[in-house]
Amino acid sequence: MAAPDLKPSFVYVTYIAAPAEKVWRALTDGDFTRQYFFGRRMQSDWTVGAGWALLMDDGRVDSGGKVLECEPPRRLAISWRVEWLEEFRTLPEAIVTFDIEPMGEVVRLTVTQLTGPIDEKYLEGGRRGWPVILSGLKSLLETGKPLKIPTPSAGTPKT
Amino acid sequence: MTKPSFVYVTYIRTSPEQLWQALTDGSLTRQYWAGRRIESDWTMGAPVTFWFDGKVSDSGKVLECDPPRRLSYSFRVEFVEALRSEPPSRVAFEIEKLDAQVKLTVTHDEFEPGSQVFAAISGGWPVILSGLKSLLETGRAIEFPTGSCDARRAKEEA
Repeated sequence: MAAPDLKPSFVYVTYIAAPAEKVWRALTDGDFTRQYFFGRRMQSDWTVGAGWALLMDDGRVDSGGKVLECEPPRRLAISWRVEWLEEFRTLPEAIVTFDIEPMGEVVRLTVTQLTGPIDEKYLEGGRRGWPVILSGLKSLLETGKPLKIPTPSAGTPKT
Repeated sequence: MTKPSFVYVTYIRTSPEQLWQALTDGSLTRQYWAGRRIESDWTMGAPVTFWFDGKVSDSGKVLECDPPRRLSYSFRVEFVEALRSEPPSRVAFEIEKLDAQVKLTVTHDEFEPGSQVFAAISGGWPVILSGLKSLLETGRAIEFPTGSCDARRAKEEA
């Protein structure tokens, strides 16, 4: 359950020409996520209360948390803590929900990030990152090919 | 009260020129913009007209036109009686090339507080821009169940 002081800090809606089951798999299967989620592999056994982790190529944990709701292929809610950046580790956990609604041949995917009252600067990365990730997910599912977008924010060496 | 504004970012595997054409050519907008055919000569101050089924659905004027980078026009809903009385808002498209992709940022702002048009466009843009991305990447816009967008619009009108 969401703590009462959590509010949506980011909402993104996209429509994807794919069955709900395929969208679900693309969100929860590490072999899929590494193709569009900045190379990160998503790992969990996807049962309520289980842990999940988003792993970098070298095995480090990018982000992690617990599975709060898991109703394949319709709804997934996870608590979210960014682990790989020191100053994010002490922030209160966010909650991210994925809602998949079939509409004929298409699904509507709504990604919502709920956060407590934290400094706006900690929200910037997510606001920039989610459109890249979700655009790549849509491309992967509709064309079989992910996008190749340079990683925004941290991780991109400034040249 | 702050004035509401809507921002949506999407990344599309296409060129800035092709994206520009998809935004400004009526035979293309018709395929992903809930059947609307856009018409303008795309010069500063020129009228912009959205046609649907022989009627004007929305209208505006070109405010900025810098192909293939930036396009902006004012936007007034004509089709829906309840929304026609609102003052025009502003739509802006910003196109940035990123290797073999483009980043498209759509900003729709200049609404009055409590605008009903704002509520309508907030649901509409993700549909339109998802369809635009699919059209450019796959050659086919997304097919929604018959008239989902217009069915909703018709309901609002009734």
